[in-house]
Amino acid sequence: MNAPGSTKATPLHGIASDAIDASCRMPLFVLFGVAALWLAASSVFGLIASIKFHSPTFLSEAGWLTYGRVYPAAKSMFLYGFALPAALGTTLWIFARIGKVGAAQPFFIAAGGALWNLGVLAGVIGIFAGHSTGFENMEMPRYAAVLLFFGFLLIGIWTLVTLHERRDRRLGVTQWFLLAALFWFPWIYSTAQLLLVVWPARGTAQAVIHWWFSANFTVLWCGLAGLGVVFYFIEHVAGRPLHNSPLAVFALWTSLLFVSWTGIPAGAPVPAWIPTLSTIAGVVSVVPLIALAMVLVPTLRATDVPPSAGGEITSHRSAWCRLTSTVPGRLVASGLVAFLVAWVVQLICAIPSVNGFVQFTWFTYALSQLNLYAFLALTLFGAIYLIAPRVAGMDWPWPKVVRLHFWLAVIGIALIVLPLAAGGLLQASKFASKASHPELSFVTVANGTLHFLRISSIGEVLLLLGHVLLAGNLLTLMARCARARLAAAYESAVAEVRTAEVKP
Amino acid sequence: MNYGALVFLGAFVAVSLSWFGMVLSPQVQLGRQTQGTNSVNTAELYPVQRPGLAREGLEVYRANGCVYCHSQQVRQSGTAVNVILTDAGTNAAAAADALMKSRAGVTDANAVGLSAGLPKAILTDVDVDRARAAVEALTSAGAKAEIEIVPVGTDIAWNWGIRRSVAHDYLYDSPVLLGSLRVGPDLANVGARLPDANWHYRHLYAPRSVVEGSAMPAYPYLFERRPIQGQPSPDAIESKDGFEIVPTSEARALVAYLLSLRADVPLFESPVSVEPPPQETADTNSAAGTNVVSPQASASAQ
Amino acid sequence: MDPSLLNAPEADEMEPKKDVVPVWLIVLMVMLLYWGAVYFDRQGGWFSPQVYAPYRNLEEVRAYQPGGGAGDLFELGRSVYGQTCVACHQANGLGVAGQFPPLADSEWVNEPEPGRLIRIVLAGLQGPMTVKGQQYGAATMTPFAPILSDQQIAAVLTYVRQNADWGNKAPAVTPEQVAAVREKIANRSQPFTAPELLSISPAE
Repeated sequence: MNAPGSTKATPLHGIASDAIDASCRMPLFVLFGVAALWLAASSVFGLIASIKFHSPTFLSEAGWLTYGRVYPAAKSMFLYGFALPAALGTTLWIFARIGKVGAAQPFFIAAGGALWNLGVLAGVIGIFAGHSTGFENMEMPRYAAVLLFFGFLLIGIWTLVTLHERRDRRLGVTQWFLLAALFWFPWIYSTAQLLLVVWPARGTAQAVIHWWFSANFTVLWCGLAGLGVVFYFIEHVAGRPLHNSPLAVFALWTSLLFVSWTGIPAGAPVPAWIPTLSTIAGVVSVVPLIALAMVLVPTLRATDVPPSAGGEITSHRSAWCRLTSTVPGRLVASGLVAFLVAWVVQLICAIPSVNGFVQFTWFTYALSQLNLYAFLALTLFGAIYLIAPRVAGMDWPWPKVVRLHFWLAVIGIALIVLPLAAGGLLQASKFASKASHPELSFVTVANGTLHFLRISSIGEVLLLLGHVLLAGNLLTLMARCARARLAAAYESAVAEVRTAEVKP
Repeated sequence: MNYGALVFLGAFVAVSLSWFGMVLSPQVQLGRQTQGTNSVNTAELYPVQRPGLAREGLEVYRANGCVYCHSQQVRQSGTAVNVILTDAGTNAAAAADALMKSRAGVTDANAVGLSAGLPKAILTDVDVDRARAAVEALTSAGAKAEIEIVPVGTDIAWNWGIRRSVAHDYLYDSPVLLGSLRVGPDLANVGARLPDANWHYRHLYAPRSVVEGSAMPAYPYLFERRPIQGQPSPDAIESKDGFEIVPTSEARALVAYLLSLRADVPLFESPVSVEPPPQETADTNSAAGTNVVSPQASASAQ
Repeated sequence: MDPSLLNAPEADEMEPKKDVVPVWLIVLMVMLLYWGAVYFDRQGGWFSPQVYAPYRNLEEVRAYQPGGGAGDLFELGRSVYGQTCVACHQANGLGVAGQFPPLADSEWVNEPEPGRLIRIVLAGLQGPMTVKGQQYGAATMTPFAPILSDQQIAAVLTYVRQNADWGNKAPAVTPEQVAAVREKIANRSQPFTAPELLSISPAE
């Protein structure tokens, strides 16, 4: 935006969006297709882990099915199997679409995707085999990380080249956010991997590095990638320019500067200066939140069409109505609401006394689910539902199922986040009351959360159903697309042979 | 702002800044910590490397994901300061005078009463400066008094530790598994809290057999069912119908690790009054570093 | 089917409005950063590796150390004794006949002023000496000036002099007294002898 000397729109250079979509087909089929499978697998194991709370003896005979392996495996499948590839695929497609250029080297990107998925497979098997690194959110062992690294390298480099070769030279807020996310992940992951696994730091320096990685991954990277998709939907799907894009860029820089210092709990067993800095950074993060709210709220409320937007927008509905008029847009809009709520809660939790109160309870888990699932996953679902039929060149096999998945996902995640947040607060208040109620036993407190966990297990079931629907829909779409293309290729080959037969 | 390079440079600067503050600086400070004398009050080295079996146990702990339900860090929200009178001295009048000065509402008569039945806390939960002044006044009056430091906080109320955890407690552990959720209790001090290995074996094999209503999964795969040959094994947790259940080497390592988890050594950076070690170790000072304030002070600290 | 899925509107060309970041937001950020600096000054312990919450600075950590007065030194002294002195003078303080003189109930230990004792520990002692009527001196006492701090010497002497189990009852020794003696004999390289010590007033 505000490109120097290019206030006029750059011409299309004659490349059709169909051709751009087609260039992304192979990499996106690999990235999205396998991601959907990982997602379904993740929720199967997530459900098993969830059931183990109500019946601790469930599937306890085999070591690889113990809670401490199933849960990290499910989470790794979600983060590394689904969220990262889906975000990478979305980034590639958005870069190609906005830049009006085909994907650079689709084959290498697809190969990178395959390598990445191989890494995830190795990592998940490693976790089941007991090779976990022990660090939450980065459990996959070293050998898997190597595959992940090279997979990411292939995808990331050619995604960057796609951006570099863009024909529309303008670089908008959407691209800024996605680009920052693209840089951020390899940075933090390689740093954490090197300092925790390859050459492990000593003592609690490990814990600090791990907290730093977790916050940068599950809050900052997730925020950048998700917001990039949100901005794309607002600008290019709802067709509304951002109310104040310099302010959005300001939000980007301030969140990079401040959020990247958060994540160390106030009570951490490290010298006071480290959690203190983290607390300060957490409080100052209110600045990017205000900036984002000041960009998003007026943009989504605006009903009149700015004359500068051009185009053929005739409707006078607000941008929010336009966004939520399609199911993918509705998914993204729900994600955006979750994001804003999560950020406000995170701000409150930056206050040391609040932080100490909710630390170690289900509340923090609910908050991380709000960020990772209600925000990032829903946003990426929206992106997949928008992008996949375009690259396939045909509509979803079961379009109504898309709507069903929306409801399953939204209700399912609400049934996880809300009860666990409530249960977590109850648990926190019981923990805190030990001093005045010395007779309180730990089992009483732990079992007090069981009702909430039961409700969340229902939520897990709904999510699982939704994931099966997504995977079924997506894989059938891919299969139909492949069959149609094979049939077309066969037809043209047959036609060629016939003309060849006729000629002599 | 049309340059991707600008985004790259900006992100690079931001990530470098946070890397400098949250990775490099902690690593420089904490990663270079060394074994040191554990407290102003003793000259012993702390921490000591865990025994080999316990280090193997950390691997079992890591591989089975115990960290997802158990934290290993004790937090502390404040510190209570008490003054313990241990010896009223020979000059009863001067001691009574000092007592009166340091504690409002004490008349001469019950000041003498206070001097009976020593040691006893004469000031509880007071400002640390006032406590120091009281100790000085009593000392100059020929009496003996000590400051008792009692860390307070939720985790300490739960008896998960006697003081907050600090970086030194984890110096020799890798990976450092602090945990983020307490589905089960904190384990920072479990070796001191539950020192019975057999209890741990039974708890791992069938948690509900020792903790009613426990939500902990059972770990039968850490145990072996084998026919009894001759005498039953001494560490069998169950023997029935000619078979016995014995812990595997993994279970042994895990329990050794759990028993090695102790965070009850007073450190300068996490002061606390503790019970004295048994007399024979106090004389030779060969046992694990345990700080001594005074037998009396710690009796009331517990 | 839902036609909007395939045909969601896509705006191709857009011109952003020329907006700016509101000044008040930047002012707010600067104010929050200033608050952060003040907060860090109060709570952050200024990067000290020994300051952990709830303590806010090193002075506070020092103030909260347990013990008090001589009791503090006594326990440190027990530890120093256990590591440094026990090999010769024995755990019961009785020493070894002919070689290492006893500390329990010794007239040297129980002198009201600790000047001679501090000298022995700092610079060592050689040659014959008489303790409780017995001759000693087959062994030499090591000088501890380079090994132990004033605090540790004061502590170990306090422990020895106030050890009721050994029948000792003499005033405590302060680190200041040790420091004063250390300064007086700073140039000395030879251990003391018993007659030389007896010629010095214990109060010096």
